[in-house]
Amino acid sequence: MESVLEFKHISKYFPGVKALDDICFKAYGGEVLAFLGENGAGKSTLLKVLNGDYKPDAGEYLLNGEQKHFKSPQEAIEEGISVIYQERQILLELSVAENIYLGRMPSNRFGVINTAKANQMAQKIIEDFGLPISPSTKVKDLSIAYQQMVEIMKAYSRDNLKVICFDEPTASLSDAEIDSLFAVIEKLKAQGKIVIYVSHRMDEIRRITDKVAIFKDGRYIDTVVTAETDEKDMIKMMVGRDLGDIYAKLDKNKEIGDVLLEVKDVSSDYVKPVSFTLHKGEVLGFSGLVGAGRTEVMRAIIGADPMRTGEVYLEGKKIVNHSPKEAMENGIVLVPEDRKLQGIISNLSVAGNINISLMKQHSNKLGVISAKKEAKEADDGIKNFRIKTPSPDKKIVELSGGNQQKCIVARGVATHPKVLILDEPTKGIDVGAKSEFYEMICEFAKQGLGVILISSELPEVMGLSDRIIVMKSLKVSGEIMAKDATETKLLSMGMIEEKE
Amino acid sequence: MENTKKENVLKRFASAVGGNNLVLIGAIIVVFILFTAINPNYLTWTNFVNLLVAASLVGIVAVGHTYLIIAGQNDLSPGSLCAFCGVAVALFLQWGLPIPVAILLTLGCGVLCGLFNAWMVNCIKLEAFIATLVTQTMVRGFAQLICDGRPVAISNQSFIKIGTTRFLSIPVSVWITIIAFIVFGFILARTRFGRSIYAIGGSAEAARLAGLNPRRIVTVSFIIIGVLTALGGVVFAARMNAGQPSANVNLEFDAITAVILGGVSFAGGVGSMFGTVLGVLLIQAFGTGLIMVNVPSFWQSVAKGALLLAALTFDYIRKERREKELIAASKRNA
Repeated sequence: MESVLEFKHISKYFPGVKALDDICFKAYGGEVLAFLGENGAGKSTLLKVLNGDYKPDAGEYLLNGEQKHFKSPQEAIEEGISVIYQERQILLELSVAENIYLGRMPSNRFGVINTAKANQMAQKIIEDFGLPISPSTKVKDLSIAYQQMVEIMKAYSRDNLKVICFDEPTASLSDAEIDSLFAVIEKLKAQGKIVIYVSHRMDEIRRITDKVAIFKDGRYIDTVVTAETDEKDMIKMMVGRDLGDIYAKLDKNKEIGDVLLEVKDVSSDYVKPVSFTLHKGEVLGFSGLVGAGRTEVMRAIIGADPMRTGEVYLEGKKIVNHSPKEAMENGIVLVPEDRKLQGIISNLSVAGNINISLMKQHSNKLGVISAKKEAKEADDGIKNFRIKTPSPDKKIVELSGGNQQKCIVARGVATHPKVLILDEPTKGIDVGAKSEFYEMICEFAKQGLGVILISSELPEVMGLSDRIIVMKSLKVSGEIMAKDATETKLLSMGMIEEKE
Repeated sequence: MENTKKENVLKRFASAVGGNNLVLIGAIIVVFILFTAINPNYLTWTNFVNLLVAASLVGIVAVGHTYLIIAGQNDLSPGSLCAFCGVAVALFLQWGLPIPVAILLTLGCGVLCGLFNAWMVNCIKLEAFIATLVTQTMVRGFAQLICDGRPVAISNQSFIKIGTTRFLSIPVSVWITIIAFIVFGFILARTRFGRSIYAIGGSAEAARLAGLNPRRIVTVSFIIIGVLTALGGVVFAARMNAGQPSANVNLEFDAITAVILGGVSFAGGVGSMFGTVLGVLLIQAFGTGLIMVNVPSFWQSVAKGALLLAALTFDYIRKERREKELIAASKRNA
């Protein structure tokens, strides 16, 4: 019998976001279905609803006509639904066989585990997959690709496996490893499993999937047949408009001034020595894979992590930042990547968040804050940055992600910085807000600020920056003028070499 | 028509005072009625003043706890520190030091204790709960050491007056706590330092990246509770005419219970000084009542534990409700 997975009116809310909005569609056994959408479109949230990590606020889903309610991923796995995540979820100190049969190792009636039998059973699966590994090898001695295979085998080893989902499985795999992963996916498909494949990479989606379900801002848009649909049309559906236009229409700053910031061999415990310069009115993009050290350089520069080596010059003068506070006083502000934990102060209001860096300016000698000055600053911020909030006194967590982010940028800009560092400023925010951010960034550059833009979205870096620095393995691996950059060039500069 | 109007007035009043505070005021009234019904002597002016005097020590420590717990920290050392400072001030007076010098030296002990707590939390990165447990034990030991475990009598009559003088028929010890509530309540609500406390309690890392110095704020908060506790210890010694090394056990327990009852969240970032005032009154009204209706002391301890459990349960319910409201608000905005 062919398996059918049906989502019926699934909705899920988080503070400030409607993460899933009335999702309805079906997935069928024996085909590979891609989930396509921008960051924050709801793909991962839907997977987490599917495997019992999240409880939906409304709606239900049916597997072969049967309504399912899982309280935990463990329960989902036992019922035949497995999700393979980017982050490995296996125990490195255990063997391949022990990981595959974790919690259900074959044992005799006294509960003594029969390792030989487990190894035998695991060996059969390994042969099925055609892998050159031994069931008794410790997982930590395997390459990342094989560790991922162990996870897949773990799901595969359950007789009742019906649904298997892959969340960005190829992020850290080489081409050869991707080939063997796809062979396994083909095998699962041939066995009639429902395979869900989440990825941003169009070429992979083309290669391995039969259909593509497209998501946008928490809503399900449509399912299309991969082979019959043009790539551009898919992107248009997932973005809602032609993104190329947004960048082309931007009114970028054309007058780039003198050197503003000079960073010489700056390193910390988390990044190797890095040097670069930033000019007045310039938007300097930082590209590279997640974990390449982009955030870490910035944290060292502003003193969020202790700087181990190197020097920083601002307008020709040497500055030393022991803390973000000193950096701010010197005119360098960071808008951090992790909005939830490092950006917003969740218990304060919109006004409180905008004003938090300016308390000194807003208070008298005794430290008493002027409510009037704060109200004015908050009103200005809300107006200038078009922050959508019912009132300045609303808790910041009640706003949408994009509006929260605007508050954080407003907070930073209110301190009148010379250098503004934006770390993944548009991560997880909707397209409308994104284009507002793009306009803002151009406006900052025109005002003579130096803007550093860290972004993992290549079109964004290429569309906004004047110059792009690429980082790889905690070092700068290259620099390129934005007008000469292509996605392929940036990717090849930023890709990690194989380590076996 | 008439009814809806009344409801609106009530609603406005409730939102001005705060829902939680209304519940507390109600609870205090219930406690008063209950104990008065059992023992009519409960509701007399003398007893009320005694209740305030007893509450003044818990209250002054609770002021410090309000700061610390909103900042996401805690302190288990005040009971020991209070006893230590009582003994210390008694010894200083015995040595013949002038009263102001003796008091200042004692407050200095409070500063040192606060610095030590802050050092453990900031530099060895200990959890405040564990770090201050260390201090609690060590300072209790020091309190016994410096007087060989025996109470130190105070004969300086002018000092003892601190414990007996009244102003507007209310003892000075109560006035000191009232002033502490007003001053530190104002600082918390209206100044940079107060705002910083809320900010680091909400998210220390976000506050740091926004240009605040969480370590300094934590250090100052620990010094504040140290000094306030030391002051409480001085006044307590004056009332008792002696420094008692084994006194004030569980002082921090009462203060923390009062603060949590008053609406400060253990998760940090939430609460107000007015809530703490009500929490202190409630816990003292309850404690005094238990004594006056002759509940055996072992049962009093059980009852106090139950009160803290109730406070924590309220804290949990409030947190759940806040989250639900947030989700509901997001639904409206979406």
